[in-house]
Amino acid sequence: MTASAIVQVEGHIIDSLILAKILDVIVESGADYRMLDFEVGRSHTDPSHARIELHTQTHEALAQLLEDLHPHGAHPVDEPDARLEAAPSDGVLPVGFYSTTNLPTSVKIEGRWYDVDRDEMDCALVVDGDAVRNTPMSKVRRGERVVIGVAGVKVIPLEKPREVTPGESFAFMTSEISSEKPKGLLVAEVARRIQHIKAEGGRLLLVAGPALIHTGSGPDLARLVREGWVDVLFAGNGFATHDIESALLGTSLGISVKEGVPDEGGHANHLRAINEVRRWGSIRSGVESGELHAGVMYECVRAAAPFVLAGSLRDDGPLPDVITDVMAAQDAMRGQLDGVRVALMLASTLHAIATGNLLPASVETYCVDINQAVVTKLADRGSHQVLGIVTDVGLFVSQLTSHLCD
Amino acid sequence: MCPAQHFGVLYEINPWMSRSVPADPSHSMAQWEALVETLRGAGAAVEVLDPVEGLPDMVFTANAGLVWRERFVPSRFTHPERAGEEPHYRRWFRSNGWSLVDLHNKPHFEGAGDALPFRDRIVAGYRIRSEFEAHTALAKALDVEVLSLELVDQRFYHVDLTFCPLDERRALCVPQAWDAYGRDVIKAAVPEPIDLEPDEALAFCANSIVVGDVIVMPSCSDRLRRLLDDFDVRVCPVDEFLKAGGGVRCLTLALDMGPS
Repeated sequence: MTASAIVQVEGHIIDSLILAKILDVIVESGADYRMLDFEVGRSHTDPSHARIELHTQTHEALAQLLEDLHPHGAHPVDEPDARLEAAPSDGVLPVGFYSTTNLPTSVKIEGRWYDVDRDEMDCALVVDGDAVRNTPMSKVRRGERVVIGVAGVKVIPLEKPREVTPGESFAFMTSEISSEKPKGLLVAEVARRIQHIKAEGGRLLLVAGPALIHTGSGPDLARLVREGWVDVLFAGNGFATHDIESALLGTSLGISVKEGVPDEGGHANHLRAINEVRRWGSIRSGVESGELHAGVMYECVRAAAPFVLAGSLRDDGPLPDVITDVMAAQDAMRGQLDGVRVALMLASTLHAIATGNLLPASVETYCVDINQAVVTKLADRGSHQVLGIVTDVGLFVSQLTSHLCD
Repeated sequence: MCPAQHFGVLYEINPWMSRSVPADPSHSMAQWEALVETLRGAGAAVEVLDPVEGLPDMVFTANAGLVWRERFVPSRFTHPERAGEEPHYRRWFRSNGWSLVDLHNKPHFEGAGDALPFRDRIVAGYRIRSEFEAHTALAKALDVEVLSLELVDQRFYHVDLTFCPLDERRALCVPQAWDAYGRDVIKAAVPEPIDLEPDEALAFCANSIVVGDVIVMPSCSDRLRRLLDDFDVRVCPVDEFLKAGGGVRCLTLALDMGPS
């Protein structure tokens, strides 16, 4: 649902069946509604009062519905314009700034509603002519006009799942952590959702932690990339390093990926891998020169699937591709979110939460980790669209790969 | 009531009006006089308002506004053709002792033509001439419950062409002029509705005037006469005025309406 409005109606709307008629008109138009408040007159001569929030697929449908409701006395509530105040200096918001959610949002300026350009939580709204930009605090420039308070700001809640046809349903996404649910069924359902979204042209974002390589999921992930299931990868220095280490030296953090035993002198293998990439200049150069010939990073380069590697304090090296300025890394990640409709967050805490902060609530997000705390943390931070699956990630990836690729 | 000397079909604002079928001035004057006599004969006192040249529909005083005891809610016409009548009605009621109550936000409202007291409520029509907002404003201004009926047939453009309260239990009804919700509303509100046949409805039988136990009608079928056998039915033909879409009730405005 992309368009919404609040209408109110007042009068003897119960005995005259006007409210019943209004709700029928709304439902018959295919719109959704939410009764915001409904006050019944105390005596039979007191008018009753209802406020109804409407949600339609398109702005045209909303305009038509408002026109159809108009004769029955249901009129859009006169929302005040949003209050704007200039940012006092670069990177500083005016006191009382509106803090965004990850839901679609509109702002009323001079009597008209404008959609915010993108949905990211914990940002500010900057009004620039007709455009309303969702802007992180650090990006705000002095003098830019920032929305203050909640008046004139409208947030459109996520559409409720409508149907439960197999393969179509988002209904099993209850934003609950599923340590108790049968995993095989969940994986099959996730695979069906991914197939459905990809078939509609949506992009898949993979957020990957280094444990994926340690646990031997590298080849499965590489296959998912090779077969076009992954459109963009977010990871850190660790994931890419161990992936390349295992491609070059057959170990992950010095442990043989195949035999599971430590390699002699293997504790330095990841450093040697990093050093190789630094010698090549970049991961891409290594692929192009034929030095890197396998692994997830290799497949990303081959498949032209962009990746963003964001650094952290404990990184070794790092790889030359790693963005060490965290704000620049956030920006690079933001730049890859266009068209992303499903996100897989696998065995990653730092990057999963960082990505959760950036994603619109409309992106179906599956967070898989053996540690329930990661999943809880993600939901607690406002990414309510996340379905957490508490399980061994190696098992999950292998089952998912066989669902999608076999 | 307002004498008919300036009456005529000079414009077309409802499906009954056609300038190619003009009113005959002498006939319309005679029919109007006969109606006044019939009403006086039934025991009604008739007050008369001066007609104004160029306002042919001023003869239909039902649309002047709504009388509610000592208060008068003036109409605000939908069509500019009739808007010129408004100041004349306002002046008459003010100078005759009524206090004027304007509706909040000035919605379109065509007076007793679209608002008929029934028991302790007002049955009101909307969508064609009056706006739903007028009903809410009326309810608030007069502290009365208003039942709103959506009118869905342009030929029955005012509620007084579709509904005629007879007493505490009965009313003449033209359900096909209301939407399904309106039909349910009346079913719940009127203990003994008398539904009109299509030809009775189109002859404006619902546009009648009850004066005590006399009912003055523009026409009456035998069937209806039998159903109304406890009334003294007096038919007063007003076919000149039917050409403009009005029956006997449209030609009058009851001055004794409102809570007792």
